[in-house]
Amino acid sequence: MVKNILVPIDFRVASLNTLKLALDYCKDQKVNAVLIYAQHLDDSITELMFYSPGKIIRSLRSPEFNHALEIIKNRFEGLLGDIRIELFHGNNKNFLNNFLSAQKIEEIFIPKTYELNITKRAFDPIPIIKKANIRVVQLEWNISYNKTEQEQLTALFN
Amino acid sequence: MITKINTKIKVALVVGLVFITIIILFGGAIYFFQNKFSFEDFYKRLETRASISAKYNLEPDTLNAESLKAIRNDHLDKLEKEKEYLIEVLPGTEISQVGKKYDLPEYFLNDLISVGRSRAKNGNTFFAGIKQVIDNRTYLVIVSAENYYASHHLMFLRNILIISVALVILIVVSLSVYFSRHIFDPIKQITDKVKQISTENLHLRLDKNNNNNEISELINTFNDLLSRIETALETQKNFISNASHELGTPLTSIIGEADVSLLKERSITEYQDSLKNILQQADRLDQITKSLLFLAQTGYKGKADFVETLRIDEIIWETKQIIDKLNPANKIFVDLSLLPEDPKKLKVKGNRQLLQLAFANILSNACKYSNNKPVSVYIASSHALVFLTIKDQGIGIPETELGYIYDPFFRASNTKLFEGYGIGLPLARNVINLHRGELLVTSVLNEGTTVQIKLPLIFFR
Repeated sequence: MVKNILVPIDFRVASLNTLKLALDYCKDQKVNAVLIYAQHLDDSITELMFYSPGKIIRSLRSPEFNHALEIIKNRFEGLLGDIRIELFHGNNKNFLNNFLSAQKIEEIFIPKTYELNITKRAFDPIPIIKKANIRVVQLEWNISYNKTEQEQLTALFN
Repeated sequence: MITKINTKIKVALVVGLVFITIIILFGGAIYFFQNKFSFEDFYKRLETRASISAKYNLEPDTLNAESLKAIRNDHLDKLEKEKEYLIEVLPGTEISQVGKKYDLPEYFLNDLISVGRSRAKNGNTFFAGIKQVIDNRTYLVIVSAENYYASHHLMFLRNILIISVALVILIVVSLSVYFSRHIFDPIKQITDKVKQISTENLHLRLDKNNNNNEISELINTFNDLLSRIETALETQKNFISNASHELGTPLTSIIGEADVSLLKERSITEYQDSLKNILQQADRLDQITKSLLFLAQTGYKGKADFVETLRIDEIIWETKQIIDKLNPANKIFVDLSLLPEDPKKLKVKGNRQLLQLAFANILSNACKYSNNKPVSVYIASSHALVFLTIKDQGIGIPETELGYIYDPFFRASNTKLFEGYGIGLPLARNVINLHRGELLVTSVLNEGTTVQIKLPLIFFR
């Protein structure tokens, strides 16, 4: 039985910590992860005509982010089935629920204190995610893990 | 001789000559074919006139003849010095006399009589004729005229061609001189820059330019070469300092061990124990000498090819053990929470002693400059690289001095209270570079220093 989980990210290495903690959390089960990046859809027609989520995601991924993602993949090789990165454009609850059922998501993990980095057209999806009609787990980085472990991913790429 | 003149002139000459030849061939061909065509065309015109003239001169009574004459007068322009000859050839007529009488070339008349039509040219005057036989009487109809076109238009064309070819040659010569001078500018710059570099300032590098592929390739090759020479020279220069630095620690423990065991009478097992320890340290001395020699050797050859397959986490643990012996108070924590599940992703090709030397230097520095505050070591690996991060909470390095930390014997201004020679980090960096890795130091003053090391994984190479 594979579980599908969803984690919001901001394409910074630090935001992948949520994914790492989430994978620690579901240790006993195979997991497929969907990482979402929330961004407002452009309203210009030409932009929409040439809309390509793959291209947008590629332009956002930095080499450090890719390395960090690979590190996590290697760390949880047996546990982690598949990681996908999706763009999330909706800004209401219904959109989120549709998205979740389309992706067959069973559990959502969000950071409790970490603030996602909001740039240009991006927005913070956490308030909407909290209203989702499936289980949302808030992960506290500070309580369950000691300090060194919390900063380890970022330490690799500062 | 051509090998003696420099490349600039050679290029200018070759380019110039090629273009000039092409241009001259081109112009010559135009003139030649135009000339030929104009002759051909003119003969045809003369022949037409001759046949028309034959029609109306030899069949004068017909209606056709009248109208032909009218058409000819109305529509065909009079040519320059156009003359018509109508000659009846009687059986007894001497061709040469006819020729003299009408001032016609004799070979032309002979040709005309035997073949039936003929063309000839005398100076600028052209002749064309046809033979007509009417009622058993032979007539020669000849038209002669001067080729106005040839004499004027062709002359004009020739002048245009000569002037334009001359102009083009001028342009080509100046352009090829210009290009030959400037195409080698980047190379001249490189030469000038390389001339500045000597053993005193081997750290200088050529400026990179991104617009020209071949040139930037050359620059990169030069820079690589300089890096190799620099490391070679450095290792050579630093061999003695490296050796004394690295041999220091095992020697200290040997001396200490011997000193302590000689303090008083001891039991045989105690002596055996201390001898074993001394042997162990002497073994390590031996290994260090060998690996330093190896380092010095590879310095000459550039990048070394290592055959040994090593697990990086294993090396870290071994290094930790070495440091534990020398400095039992250390607080080195190896963080394994990002360690890959697949141990293959920790394997690198390398020299065990050298990597141990490098890590031992970095770790002992981390402990030393933080007065044994906790030092964390993170190991992680992506698909191609092993990442090692060593983080301490020590005194840090002033930002302005970060650029010099890889220079041998450099010591930061805030290290006066600590013993050291400024050998460890440059040596570690050399070792990591030798393993095709990268070593990066970032630091915040009074907060700590982070050393990041990337090493290529074995099966990605």
